[in-house]
Amino acid sequence: MTILPTLKSLAVAAAILASTSAIALAKDVHISVWAGGTGPNDVYRLDAIEIAAQQLQREAALKGEDLKITVEKKPYSAWEDFKQALTLAAEAKTAPNIVVSGHEDIAPWSQAGLIVPIEDYVDLDSWPLSDIYENLLQIASYNGTVYGIPQDAESRPMFFWKPYMKAIGYSDADLDALPQSVQDGKYTMKNLLEDAKKMQDKGLVQPGYGFYPRTSNGPDYWQFYTSFGGTMEEGGKLVFDKAAMTRTYQFFADAVKSGVTKKNHIGMPGDQWWKEVATGKAGIWDGGTWHYARLVNQEGLKDFFGNVIFTLIPAGEGGKANTLTHPLVYLLTAGHDQEDTEIAAQLVKIASEPRINALHAVKSAHLGISKSESTVEFYSADRWTREATERLLPHANAMPNNSDFGKYWNIMWKNLEASWTGAKTVDAAVSDAESELKSTLGDKIVIR
Amino acid sequence: MKSSRTLGLVMIAPAAIMIVLFFLMPVVLTAVFSMTSMTTATGISGGVYQIAPNSLIALKSAIPDIAAEMAEPRYTIDEAGLKAVEGLGLAPGIAGELRAKHAGEVFTARRDVERMLKELADRPSTRDVKQISEQFNRSVLNTRFDSKEQLFSALDSLGFKLTPEQKETVAKVTYTGWVWTTDNFSRMTTSPDMARVLLNTVLYVALVLMLFNVGYALLLAIWTHYMPPTPASIFRGIWLLPRITPVVIYVMLWKWLAWDTGFISILMGKFGYPPKNYLLDNAYNAWFFVVLINGFIGASMGMLVFSSAMKAIPKSQFYASEVDGASRWQQIRYIILPQMRWPILFVTCYQTLSLLASFNEILLATNGGPGNATEVWALSAYHTALRNYAGNLEYGLGAAMALVLVVIGVTLSLLYLRVFNYGTLVAKPLIED
Repeated sequence: MTILPTLKSLAVAAAILASTSAIALAKDVHISVWAGGTGPNDVYRLDAIEIAAQQLQREAALKGEDLKITVEKKPYSAWEDFKQALTLAAEAKTAPNIVVSGHEDIAPWSQAGLIVPIEDYVDLDSWPLSDIYENLLQIASYNGTVYGIPQDAESRPMFFWKPYMKAIGYSDADLDALPQSVQDGKYTMKNLLEDAKKMQDKGLVQPGYGFYPRTSNGPDYWQFYTSFGGTMEEGGKLVFDKAAMTRTYQFFADAVKSGVTKKNHIGMPGDQWWKEVATGKAGIWDGGTWHYARLVNQEGLKDFFGNVIFTLIPAGEGGKANTLTHPLVYLLTAGHDQEDTEIAAQLVKIASEPRINALHAVKSAHLGISKSESTVEFYSADRWTREATERLLPHANAMPNNSDFGKYWNIMWKNLEASWTGAKTVDAAVSDAESELKSTLGDKIVIR
Repeated sequence: MKSSRTLGLVMIAPAAIMIVLFFLMPVVLTAVFSMTSMTTATGISGGVYQIAPNSLIALKSAIPDIAAEMAEPRYTIDEAGLKAVEGLGLAPGIAGELRAKHAGEVFTARRDVERMLKELADRPSTRDVKQISEQFNRSVLNTRFDSKEQLFSALDSLGFKLTPEQKETVAKVTYTGWVWTTDNFSRMTTSPDMARVLLNTVLYVALVLMLFNVGYALLLAIWTHYMPPTPASIFRGIWLLPRITPVVIYVMLWKWLAWDTGFISILMGKFGYPPKNYLLDNAYNAWFFVVLINGFIGASMGMLVFSSAMKAIPKSQFYASEVDGASRWQQIRYIILPQMRWPILFVTCYQTLSLLASFNEILLATNGGPGNATEVWALSAYHTALRNYAGNLEYGLGAAMALVLVVIGVTLSLLYLRVFNYGTLVAKPLIED
């Protein structure tokens, strides 16, 4: 008789326990992702995480867990705004779980404790991470630790408007051979300025439109420094090569002096620049591989391969032909619940699978991150991604992951702009940069 | 009497708290930040101690032998680690298999030890692998320690024999946070670019102030003074438009006017001139537009102050002068200007302070270009501390630059108070004596 109430209470306790364990199994996770430099062609930076969430939910269901992941996406089109917002949010402990940013942010952000190493959460030896190009994983590392997973790869070629090249005397065969002769160092920066001048002299393009480079600060300008023999970092220390920097500054000053580049080129509206390079108003220009997507999708350049030829950045005096890859990376921010970070890491891992990443690569004209991605037919069938991968990626350098590189970059750019616009002579700009680098970075930079 | 004083203090308390919080604190914090090396890389909230390959570069020159030893990552399968693994509550076979097959092994990279762990019969999950490998970590490399003491005790426990001085050197080199420093001020005084920026600021304030905020404002006030009331009000209303238009739209309108594809280019194109970006064509053009953009906004306030001051001049003085046959110029010269001394001084003072701190119009129009030609002090402080492409925000240096503005502003304010003779302004009216 007395056993009944005990049984009853046991049954109630079991029911309560069962219900709480059911609640414990139903897990509702909110993952936020922010991506910088994200235009209409780059939506898969964020959408890939959403696709990955669906996959992870299914995997969890098979393990008997009721996992529900809500992904909150936030694209930023400009870099300045994005980096300011992210840095301040992270300092205020309100950073998103996942950030898509340039690899060069790994050094300062990890030093400040804003991000955590992704290798603490994922197995780098398992697919698809084991398949990612080793050099890209290196770029996503700092202090020997893998902090991020490359989200894309790219490079920054030199573009030539084919009809004008023909008009100044290049045959079809010459043009086909141009990428190779740039790579071999036969076609140099000097030739580039000469050709730009010829286009202007023939009236093919207006004055100032012969060589029409990027209109704002960006990683592109380090390619020119490399092209003139400069080194950014050596043995963990930043390097300022005065002679190479002088030649770099001089190149742009000369371009302005000979009239092939406008003195007021920097700061011009981006939309105008895009329209002009897409419609053949400019003769030669530099840009990123993703420019293909913008030119074809938004700017109406339908016959890209008929009108444009692309090469490495030609060699300048003392340097070699090169290009720069600037992979964006998925990073995990600090200060979140361990389990959320774990799930965020899993999402990044799934988002890096070749077929998902190929969606981004093809839509945005970026390059693939893993070996097997180039075997995905959807990727390899795309002429742009195929040709750009083959022609450019093997020659790509990257900017160093160094917590002081940003300071160096600011000083380098400020003085390049000053010598370009004639606000300073080239020598004054280089010597100002040198003295500011000395006072700012001391022995953290080698000046030679 | 006493209670009324207390009541007064209570009444003023909310205002006093507001002043301290929103006026005084920012200045105090700016001063504090300006004495630090704060950047994105050091963080704001403080740092940790991390012996990382990059910090070892500096340590190599100070204590080469020890630095080399520290650089060695080591994962040792020892008894202490095995005991710790047993305590993790994982599958019991893991610790057993490790003890049997791998005891005494040393791995130099974390990935190597983790690869070995993944070969175990009871293959642990990725998360567990990380946990297990950490139990065998016998190196300080890349570990983040919250305090010096933790760092030192870790070094001691790993058998590093360091003198107190060497420990301090290690702590200093491996600290990732900001430190107190006066470097920001020495950087400011030695940088040729800062001198240029300062000169730009002086030029900007002087030009906008003289040509527009005071000069043109006075001209507008005088013009409208002699107009019939209705057109005068309409005219003044129009001049207020730049002030009340949202600044982004207002600057966008100027850009449409001055860009390659803008109005001026189209107009000049009719006369055979190729289109060009008039706004950023050269430093002179940029300055021309920066002064105009800011001047048109600033002129309206001076105009309003001057107009009302002119209205306060007794009409009889104008009638009398007309009777005496005075010309308009003579009226301006002998009636209006002498009585406008204080309004002019006030507008000059007020607008100097506003212009010193304002940069949003320049940011939107030229962003300091071309070639930093229109980079003024406040804009430069903003670029340094909060917004640049490389994303390396130098809070300390930016704060130091902002502090210079604060000091100039406070000095000028004190000077103006003296010029206005603040004492007599707030003195008791003589009539009550």
